[in-house]
Amino acid sequence: MSRYFDISRFWLLLKLEVFRSRKGILMTFVIVFGMLFFIGLLLDIAVDSHKRLYEHTENYIFSLLAGGFVLSSLAFNDLGNSLKRYHYLTLPASTLEKFVCMWLLTSVGWMGLFTLTYFIYALIANPIGELLFAGVAFEPFNPLDDFAVNTMKYYFILHGIFLVGATHFKGYVLPKTLFVLVLFGAAIGTLAYFILKGVFLSDHECLGYECELLDEIVAHRFWMIIKWVFLWVLAPFCWVTAYIGLKEQEA
Amino acid sequence: MIRIENLSFSYNKRHQLFDQLSITMPLGNIYGLLGKNGAGKTSLLKLISGLLFPNGGTLDVAGFQPKDRFPQYLREIYLVSEEFHLPSMYLERYVQLYSPFYPRFDYALLQEYLHEFNITGGQKLSEMSYGQKKKFLLSFGLATDCKLLILDEPTNGLDIPSKSQFRKVVANAIHEERSFIISTHQARDMENLIDPVIILDEGEIVFFQNYVQISKKLRVSKQKELPDNDALVYSESSLGGYTVVSENTTREETNMNLEILFNAVVSNKRKIYEIFKSE
Repeated sequence: MSRYFDISRFWLLLKLEVFRSRKGILMTFVIVFGMLFFIGLLLDIAVDSHKRLYEHTENYIFSLLAGGFVLSSLAFNDLGNSLKRYHYLTLPASTLEKFVCMWLLTSVGWMGLFTLTYFIYALIANPIGELLFAGVAFEPFNPLDDFAVNTMKYYFILHGIFLVGATHFKGYVLPKTLFVLVLFGAAIGTLAYFILKGVFLSDHECLGYECELLDEIVAHRFWMIIKWVFLWVLAPFCWVTAYIGLKEQEA
Repeated sequence: MIRIENLSFSYNKRHQLFDQLSITMPLGNIYGLLGKNGAGKTSLLKLISGLLFPNGGTLDVAGFQPKDRFPQYLREIYLVSEEFHLPSMYLERYVQLYSPFYPRFDYALLQEYLHEFNITGGQKLSEMSYGQKKKFLLSFGLATDCKLLILDEPTNGLDIPSKSQFRKVVANAIHEERSFIISTHQARDMENLIDPVIILDEGEIVFFQNYVQISKKLRVSKQKELPDNDALVYSESSLGGYTVVSENTTREETNMNLEILFNAVVSNKRKIYEIFKSE
């Protein structure tokens, strides 16, 4: 049996974690989909009398990201409690198995289950909406649409940040992670401004979706580096950092 | 099995808890770890469990470094801490989910221990009393057949019958391939159970002896007057006179209780060291 990863031990851990978090997952789904139906659908249409077409795009993006970030922040919840921490750290599974288990549940697990549930939700919510709001057409939700796939891609990249928060902060993980993100974003923004100062201060025209400034920024080497780092480096960096954070936990 | 050499550990830079701590603890014993509050008992247990990382020195348990927390190591130790958390699930479900992590887990033994402690199935762990939870964890830990069972204040919260059940169960569960470390303030609860005795004081192991040696080297007696001789180690007033611990020069064995022994050791470390130095 490997000291780092053993599939049968991993399976035991996965079963254990799913069982332990079953109530939390169920509650998250009830709250998210309850809010989506009553606020995101019924209230949204009720207050907007001009609405003729209801799309699921925005609600899906927002709820997948927000729900996933909350879930990822809670991934290593046991570490925030000194008594649960003993139990978790001395459980005979490797740190890698403990990390991969939570990584899998909060990334692929969340995206898959949420998207499937959203698909079923849309199948049920659309006919109800059509019955209640005769003048509104309801777009079906296609989980394989570009927007859904892109949302999942960005969630997959970003959720690692919240895993880092979960392994480095004790308690109030989500607000602390968001606070650090804001600080980090401000620092990157300031740096970007100084590097792209010439582009920002140049004469440019923006008409609708076409904007010379944006075109220039997108073509700038700094932006290309940032984009490459975001797409290819950020997620693995966060996963490794979260793993190290978990490995270095003491009680 | 446990080999600690020149171990150093501190929670912060100003105060070093362990400095050059060394001890070797072979298999097959029930070690009693005694010490005052803040002596470092729980920290030592956490270091052995891999819950704290040493700053320096060697800490080897069954060929593993606890800080690595490899599963092969974690399945050979079981820690029942003084304060603990049990998830909100039924006893049977807990056993079903957690026991497969321990390859030598014995369900029949678990049932036996639970029966001994009067714990019935069909109960939610979170709804049990503190004492019941502790007895369940003890039963589970014993049933894992792990090589090292670490018990931190195991009798705290147990009622009087449970304390004697605890002694009986633990004494029957020890075998040559495993060790127990019991850290406690309740020295009386551990009478006739722990052997050898380890006394930790201010981050140092000031005493590590088995009962044969203790009986050979020390004697306890009741005296009306305080003796005035070099053999005196410790005395305390008791009903009608004094309880006196002195060097055993007669080779006559006396019934040394743990509380008196502990008080004697921490109050006169130098004398104790001299007595036990000469084999």
